[in-house]
Formats: sequence, C-alpha cells, structure tokens
Amino acid sequence: MTGAPSFGIDRRGVSVVAWSCYLFLLLPSLIVIPISFGNPGEIQFPPRQFSLALYRQFFSDPAWWGSLLESLGVALATTIASLCLAVPAAYALSRSRLAGRALLRGLFMMPMLVPVVVLGLGLYLQYSDWGLLDTSAGLVLAHVTLAVPFIMVSVMSGLAHADVALETVALIMGASRLRIFFRVVLPQLSSAIAVGALFAFLTSLDEVVVAYFVTGTSTMTLPVKMYSAIRWELSPVIAAVSTLLTVVSLSIALGIIALQRPTEANS
Amino acid sequence: MLNARSQLSPAASTMVELAGVSKNYGPVNALLPVDLTIAKGEFVTLLGPSGSGKSTLLNLIAGMITPSAGRIVIDGRDATAMPTNKRGLGMVFQNYALMPHMTVFENIAFPLQVRHMSRAEIRERVEKVLDLIQLRHVADRRPKALSGGQQQRISLARCIVYNPALILMDEPLGALDKNLREQMQLEIKRLHAELGITMLYVTHDQDEALTMSDRIVLMNSGRIEQQGPPEQLYFEPTTVFAAQFIGSSNILVGDVMDQAGGTAIRTSVGTFPVRTAAHDFAAGQRAALLVRPENLRLVDEGTALPNIAGQIEDSIVMGGVIRHFVRCADKSVIIVQELNQPGLPRPQRGSLVRAGWSTAHGRLLPPAPSAEGTQG
Repeated sequence: MTGAPSFGIDRRGVSVVAWSCYLFLLLPSLIVIPISFGNPGEIQFPPRQFSLALYRQFFSDPAWWGSLLESLGVALATTIASLCLAVPAAYALSRSRLAGRALLRGLFMMPMLVPVVVLGLGLYLQYSDWGLLDTSAGLVLAHVTLAVPFIMVSVMSGLAHADVALETVALIMGASRLRIFFRVVLPQLSSAIAVGALFAFLTSLDEVVVAYFVTGTSTMTLPVKMYSAIRWELSPVIAAVSTLLTVVSLSIALGIIALQRPTEANS
Repeated sequence: MLNARSQLSPAASTMVELAGVSKNYGPVNALLPVDLTIAKGEFVTLLGPSGSGKSTLLNLIAGMITPSAGRIVIDGRDATAMPTNKRGLGMVFQNYALMPHMTVFENIAFPLQVRHMSRAEIRERVEKVLDLIQLRHVADRRPKALSGGQQQRISLARCIVYNPALILMDEPLGALDKNLREQMQLEIKRLHAELGITMLYVTHDQDEALTMSDRIVLMNSGRIEQQGPPEQLYFEPTTVFAAQFIGSSNILVGDVMDQAGGTAIRTSVGTFPVRTAAHDFAAGQRAALLVRPENLRLVDEGTALPNIAGQIEDSIVMGGVIRHFVRCADKSVIIVQELNQPGLPRPQRGSLVRAGWSTAHGRLLPPAPSAEGTQG
C-alpha cells in the first residue's frame, strides 16, 4: 500500500467514491428491509410503525409459501443434477487428451453467453412439444443448463490446483480410474464443489426469466410469483419476500467467501 | 554379481527387459532405440543431464507414455501396451505425492485396499512397514504435518507395503537438504539390501548414483552412453562425456602416433606415451587422453613420467585433499589433486610446476564431437 503511486488522488477520496458506488448499488435492495417490517396496508419508507404483519401474511398464504417450497425444491434438485453432470465432465475435460476438448468446454459454457430471454423462449417452444411446460422436472432441466457452467468453472479451477502426481501415483499403485476419481480427486475438490454447488443453488433460486417462460400456476417459483405480484396486485408482502430472499442469498454468498478463503491459503 | 545372475535362465532372473524401445514426438527423438535389462533385486540408476531421456525411459516403463517402437517386458509379462495400473509397479516422486486428505496410515493402506485385502491384514502390513521405517508414532498424522525426510520415507513405505515388481524413483531426494539426502541414501540402500526389491532410480546427481547403485546407466541425448557398475563407469569410461559427467577429469585432445616403444598421443602441450593395450586407435586418428586429477601429481623436472609444464594459477584446500589449477602453455587449465597432509608445502601462485602421471593411469578415448581442446 505504502509504495503504490497515488497519481495525485487522495486515498480517502477514492474510498468515498467507492463507497458511494456500493451504496448506489445496494441501497435499493436494503431499503426493502425496513419496509418489510412496516404497516401491511402500505408501501412506505421509512415505515411509520413496526410490525411483523407482512411476514405473517406471507407464511399464512399457501400461494406464497408454496412457491417458496417450489423454489427451494427446484434449486436443490438443480444443484444435485448439475453436480452429477458437471463434476465428472470437468474432470474429463481437464485430465483427458480428448480431441475437440476446447469445443466441448465451449459448449458447456455456452448457456452463460446466450441471452436468458432467448434461452427461455427456445425452451418454451421445445417444452410445449415435449409436454414439459408447467412441470418441476422441466424447470429443473432448464436451470441445470444455467447452473452447470458455474460448477464447471469452480471445479476446473480446483482441478488446476490439484496435484496430478497424486493421480499418477494412485494409478501406478494399481487403482482403477473410478477409485482414483472417488478416493483421490473428489476429496481434493471438496471446497471447489461446495462453492460451485452454492452458486448453482443461488442461480436457480434467483432465476426469473426462464422460469417465467416454462412455469405455470402449479409450479410457480418464488421470483416468478413476486414478479406477478408486482404486476397484478402490488402487494407489500413482496417487501417481506425480498428481505427473506436477500438474507438467504447473502448467507450463501458469505458461505462461498468462507469456503474460498482456505483454498486460496492452500495454493 | 551380474555374471552370477546371467547364468540363470533369463526369465527367472530378469525383472524388466526393454528391446529396441524408442520414443519420438513428431520429428523430435526423446529416446533413441534402447536395449536395457534389469535383474531381479538389482538397484539400477538412470543418470544423465536433464533432457537426456532418463525421465522418458522411466515414464515408458511406468506406462505413462507409450513407446513409438520396441517391446517392454516386466516380470515376464509383455507390458508394451499394458495400462499403468496393471503393471504392478511402485513409484516415489520428488514431491512425495502423499494424499493430503488421508492420514499416514491411510496413505500406506491405500494400495492394499486397491488389492482388496482384509482390514486385519491391512493393519498388520501397514504397522510392519511403519516399524521398518521407524515412523510408527506418526501413523495418525497428516503428511503435511511431517518433515520432508519423513514424508519421503512414508512415500517409500507406501511402495514397499505391497511388494511391487519394481520401484521407480524419480529424483526422490531432490527436495531435501544435503545431510538429510545422505541419510536417506543410506536408508534406501538399507531397505534395498534387506528386502531385495528391484529399484530403478533416476537422478542427475553423480554422487548419488555412485553411492547407491549396483549399476549405473548413463544417458546422453536420448540414448545410453555407457552402463556398468559405478567403479567401471568411473575408472573405465568409454567416452569423453562419461569421463566428464562422472567425477572430474582432464582431457587432452591430440593425434595418435606410433613411436619407439609403443603408441603416443601428440597434443598441443606435448607428446605423451599411452597404454598400448585396451584401445584400438590407429596412428593418425584424433583421440582424447583422460587423466583423473587424483592420478596427477606435482613432479620434479628430471622425472621419467609423462608430464606437462605449467604455472600454478590457484591451489585450493578441500579438507582432506588439495587441488592445484595449473595453466599450461596453450592456456588450458589442468587440475591436479593431491592428498592433503599437515605441513605439505603449498606452491606459490604463479610458480612453475610440472604435473606428471603414470602411463597406466592415462586412458585413451574417442574425441568428443565438439569438445576439441576443452578441459573439464
């Protein structure tokens, strides 16, 4: 820090600018927190009286907590399915000398680059043929395509740090490829996998565009329900929902940070 | 020892046999066709500079790469196309390659679990091998909590425990400091002698090779330069490269000529008689005369020994020995090594001396391709 060139800018000035940007980005999300504890009859900031009525309303309305359960279920299924797909794929792509490896890697990453609206529309058209519209399985499938790249990125960077000599020595000792994967590779990847899994869970939990296309009344996830609540009823309950979602997302993000720290210390 | 073995039937005494094994990457030859046999219980060292093909040879035997041509037989089975995990080998790496997520016990138990042994047998075998390396007390610790020397002993124990046909060691002591390295050399030698394991050791360290090996295979630019017991490589090198890579050497390049009483070599610093036996050089051929520093000594002017005149450039005391650097008339430097004794007069820097040797200690070699006039 002491040796860094200052370019004539006061360091305090820089941090004031930085914090202003953070506040500009964060305040709209944070402002819903006090609102969610306000009067259920109005959306107002600052709230004139403190109450838990909005939360009571949320948990007593099956349309709300039902969509929360749907969201959690879909996110969990998405995470598990993406792990089963992405972890072996990342291993194969980083350790094999397969022809067209770069192309395959690109294909796995593609869902990150395709605009989600395009993806949503494509899935909508395809699902209507397959009868997957308004099914949890269809939504999970859609979310898996979005979540896989996150796990791939995390696990591949974990594999880049893992010592290949350990796999070589296990192979020379006579271990099968399968045993090496489970006993040697996976334990080294535990934190990379956990980080990827949390990203996958969060991706699915927050996803609204694709879900809006492929879900219906029986499979409505929480973000979709919130979106329609804004459009059709403008219920102040969404302040409570937003607060809940923010808390969940924040704790997952903190979890990711906590998991990433020891990996960096190791490498 | 080798002769005694070769009288047995080849199948029973041979652990590894390479016949015409080569490896090339496109137009680049990593290894030219090599024939190599390793006897059961033998300690063979692949010695050579980096890029000499020793690691390629090791990886070919381990099955990490497939040969471009040739045949590999391990323990009587054709292993040329056999996958690595079916070859029944063990390997010790420079960076230990112990599983960080397993305890020492679990690390050593791993190859036994691979072989589907019972829990009781695994426990018995692991404890036995931990006793052998005197590290029973660290069984429940993680490898990262141990010193480098301890980790390398664990790594060795992990090989010994399942009795592989051959243990490959890839510069296993490269990461350790000098004292520890010497201790480990003795430990590995002890284990080799006690257990009769066949070992293939890769190093670029000539002292390590000389200390430990039954046989040294000296590699240079993708082929075997020379192989034999350490003494043979030291005293009877067949090339200038071998002479310079193992031990230190003085090389005098010149033309072979016949003279009264035998053969001689005419160099830029004089004409010297050479042993007539043990070489097949014709008069007029280029050749290199090797004299080891310890076979040279400072002599008086009237000596009958072949000798070179020069000026003392420096004298360095290295404990038990003293080394004189003598600059000759053609500006090249030769090294004379004498045993140090209390009260030994040290020649003054710049004084004129003669370095002489007995003809029996000179060895005639074919000249190195590009080593005209160089000294090593």
